[in-house]
Amino acid sequence: MEEREREGRGKVSSLIEKATNSTSPEVDPRLLKAIKSVARYSDSEIQLAFDTLMQKMEKEHSQVRYLALLIIDELFMRSKLFRSLLVVNFDQLLILSVGFKKDLPLPAPSAIATRLRSKAIEYLEKWNSSFGIHYRQIRLGFEYLKNTLNFQFPNLQQNAARREQERREREMRSKEILLNKFETLRQNISLIKGEIQRTIDEIGECLDILHPKEEDFIPVDTEEEFESRSVAFQKIRLESLKEGDKLHETSENKVLFDVLRELYKLVESKHLASLQDWISVLVRVEPADCRFRDSTLKEFIDLRNQLRSVKNRCEGCTLTNIRTDEDEDIWEEVKIDAADSGIISSPNVPNNDHASTFTANENKNKTSGKTTKFSGSKNLDGKGECSDSNSVKSSLLAEAPVMTWGASLDDWGAKRDRLANQRGLEIEGHWGRVDYDAVIPAEKIAELNVQAFLYKEDPVEISPCLAPLKSGLLCQRRDLRVCPFHGPVIPRDVEGNPIDQAPLPDDIIPDLLVEKLAKQAVKNVRERDRDEVKRKSDKHLLKRAKLAKVREHNESVLRDAALASTSYSESVGAANQNGPVYKENKQTLSSMLRKKITPKDRIAKRLLNRRASNATRELILGEDTKYREAYPNQW
Amino acid sequence: MWKEVGQREMGRLAPHSFVNRIKSNRISSLELSNYKEILSAHKGAINSLQVDLTDGRYLLAGASDGSAAVYDVQCAASYEGNGLVAKHEKIFVVDKQHEQGHKYAISSAIWYPIDTGLFVTGSYDHYVNVWDTNSTQVVVNFKMPGKVYRTAMSSVAKSHMLIATGTEDVQVRLCDIASGAFTHTLSGHRDGVMTVEWSNSNEWVLVTGGCDGAIRFWDIRRAGCYLVLDQLQTQLGRRPPVLLQSSLKGSTSKSIPDQSSFLKARTSQKKSAYGNGTKHTPIHRTKGSMGQRQHPGMLSSHDRATAHYGAVIGLKVSEDGMYLLSAGSDSRLRLWDIESGHNTLVNYEATRLQTSKGIQLAVTQDSSLVFVPCMTTVKAFDIWSGRTSMTFRGHYEKVNCCWFSSQDQELYTGSNDRQILVWSPSKTVHAVEDDRCGEVLMSNSDQDNWSD
Repeated sequence: MEEREREGRGKVSSLIEKATNSTSPEVDPRLLKAIKSVARYSDSEIQLAFDTLMQKMEKEHSQVRYLALLIIDELFMRSKLFRSLLVVNFDQLLILSVGFKKDLPLPAPSAIATRLRSKAIEYLEKWNSSFGIHYRQIRLGFEYLKNTLNFQFPNLQQNAARREQERREREMRSKEILLNKFETLRQNISLIKGEIQRTIDEIGECLDILHPKEEDFIPVDTEEEFESRSVAFQKIRLESLKEGDKLHETSENKVLFDVLRELYKLVESKHLASLQDWISVLVRVEPADCRFRDSTLKEFIDLRNQLRSVKNRCEGCTLTNIRTDEDEDIWEEVKIDAADSGIISSPNVPNNDHASTFTANENKNKTSGKTTKFSGSKNLDGKGECSDSNSVKSSLLAEAPVMTWGASLDDWGAKRDRLANQRGLEIEGHWGRVDYDAVIPAEKIAELNVQAFLYKEDPVEISPCLAPLKSGLLCQRRDLRVCPFHGPVIPRDVEGNPIDQAPLPDDIIPDLLVEKLAKQAVKNVRERDRDEVKRKSDKHLLKRAKLAKVREHNESVLRDAALASTSYSESVGAANQNGPVYKENKQTLSSMLRKKITPKDRIAKRLLNRRASNATRELILGEDTKYREAYPNQW
Repeated sequence: MWKEVGQREMGRLAPHSFVNRIKSNRISSLELSNYKEILSAHKGAINSLQVDLTDGRYLLAGASDGSAAVYDVQCAASYEGNGLVAKHEKIFVVDKQHEQGHKYAISSAIWYPIDTGLFVTGSYDHYVNVWDTNSTQVVVNFKMPGKVYRTAMSSVAKSHMLIATGTEDVQVRLCDIASGAFTHTLSGHRDGVMTVEWSNSNEWVLVTGGCDGAIRFWDIRRAGCYLVLDQLQTQLGRRPPVLLQSSLKGSTSKSIPDQSSFLKARTSQKKSAYGNGTKHTPIHRTKGSMGQRQHPGMLSSHDRATAHYGAVIGLKVSEDGMYLLSAGSDSRLRLWDIESGHNTLVNYEATRLQTSKGIQLAVTQDSSLVFVPCMTTVKAFDIWSGRTSMTFRGHYEKVNCCWFSSQDQELYTGSNDRQILVWSPSKTVHAVEDDRCGEVLMSNSDQDNWSD
């Protein structure tokens, strides 16, 4: 029994030793399990584990402390004995894990130290909530960190509860709003329905009046038919219809069309949208009686379908008109754009007023024809003629200059003289006679209106370098051509491997192609040369290695033979001389402590070495003496 | 424990020794109490703690935020965790909001020794206030020439009502509550007076410790101080050896066994020795000290003696009034024999004491243990051997004061982390049995839980 215990004794401490001697951010789960199962075995194990862990916590290495803390938490949550042992020195544990004392900060790898601290705080909160009532020390530690040092605890439980509460409140609120809406709907339903019905009726009447004329051309287009056909086909068909259709606005049916257009707009912008809203409200709301909701929902869906069909009919019958209407819209947009460079002084045109728009357009054509200040004016010239054709317009638009808004646009292209005292300012004859009718000639105004521009660079998208870094991320440096760390910026795939350049595009200039080929050839040749050299040197190296090996073997044999006769110190010296043992690049606990060499360090090494500083000092000294010689009376 | 009860029943054990045994048992098991908790009403460091001397029920605390509060340590205000943790809340608090409250930190708060109707606070705002406990109003106040470090009232006084105050000033002033004026101004210290303490055996004797490292004894009926303790005047053991000459001649190796046997003899018959000690000590007294008694103006060489290197920050007279414990900013504790005025050379284990503030020591009733605030911990030393017998960890910042309530065998400590902690004996067998039912319910959540 005792023997077994002793065996176990070694075991738990060696297990902890092994578990804490690692660089991973987690304790090896197998080791942890082993520790737990061993510790469970007896109280003396727990005692030993506690002692070992506290020793580990005192190590001057955050990683060791961190892993030890993880194990402590595991045991703490399980064993009562462990808890009672731990709380005796609870402040010590907190000092070692949270590091709140100024004279005892957490040890070296600072990244892990912060992790250790946050973990410790998290654990403290957990321990306090689960065992705080039984251990005053835990309560004290928690209160001290919270109330005196004002540490921010993650507050996991409370946070979760609060979030839940907030969510519930939000839901409640939205439900309430929905219910309110539902109530208003219940009150206003007849009104809404009546309005929509009226609109539908009106449209129907209008169409009825228009219908007899076009019934020959459009044999009752049902919506299915429309939907079944492809859009392109529909378009072609409509185009043809449009050609054949004589349903143009004439002076007699203009009124009718106007009404129809208005109603169409009403349906599209108001009724359909509001219906959609109501339907969504009805779907989401959970009222006391579902019957009303269901019936209303049904009615609304019917209404919506009805509206859609009416709308489609409308589009079908009066597509041309509507098209023109849309055209008009676009055209008006153009007008607004053009207005920037055209007439602002002319009265603003109401959107639907055809006549005035036309006049405005003509007006503009006239005026823009006369402007000569811009290269774009030519394009503006052409506008009047091809205002119907979309493509020409858009191309013109693309080329049209964009002017900044300003007073200079007031008399854009106006070729008339202007009064110098345009605003009627009363000028007293302080300095002599005043010519109230002084006029600035048009040429002068044009001259004054010439504007200066600042060159604006086109924004260039600089792509990141994206070369793979050691940390597993991609280099995010943005350089135009060459990244200082990873060479020329080339297209790379998601992992950062360079993608081979795409095959040369066909339209590349032959000159370039030739050049490239030549380069490639040179490169190939060089590569071959290099390979050869390398192979040679490899061979050489191999030979040398073999030789070295033989020599080493010989030496070791000799040394072994000689060791018996030589003194200890000599042999030790020889062993030390045996060459530096190159460390593997593997991460160890001590390597974590080593400071990383940052670019700043490298620069500092370059700048702060003796030679550089000597040089600068000489320079400064030289300048100083020169200055003193030049101005001996100045200090 | 049951054995002792049985012996007591049989009459084999004397009542007082039975009590003493139980008490010392309880004291040796002091630990941070999980079932008693004082909710501190202070926003600053606790500088002074005292349980009243009459009821042993009301704990008076003075804190650095200028507040003083009284807590009921017997009756809990509320319970937490199914009655597991009793929370003791303040009965009242006087702080800066109070129109007569102190402006700056309260350094000392003491009860009027006769009853709980009055208490006295001394503060860094130069005032000593005497408060009526029931109306929480100031009855009298005294303006001091500097910051008040410590106030003391004699618990054995029958003929005077004086508050001794140690301040920044070199003079110790005695304030009379009855008249509201200073009755004495004791001058002798060369620096501020950190701590004052009345003798427990003589109502006229006052002990003061100053920042100059001197501990002075004053007989307030006479002018000047009659004794200055000198750390270099030493004696081995608790009493001066019977035969001074022989002990001086004899080697130390010889005297030590003598000493230990003497110790043993004394502990067995401590109670009976009280009267004798005072009677026969004058016989052993050296001539020099006799001379000092007779001549108030002392020799200058004696006047310059120091008890500590650095300031004296804490004084405590033992319950029987025969010994004095002093703590200095040199992180030393010294035990003095008051009768001879010698350093007894008890080597208290190395500690670190805080140096910036005065500390308040506590001694158990039978003078076996002294509780000393040592930075963030409180240590209990065996008075006679100087060994650490217990260490109380729980505070997170420096501990300023402690008070031992011999009635309940509980220790109260106040610290810079604003907490007042209760250290009580672990629950005894029958107490556990009483709470068994509640305990079973509660302890379910504190059991081993090996899920894997």
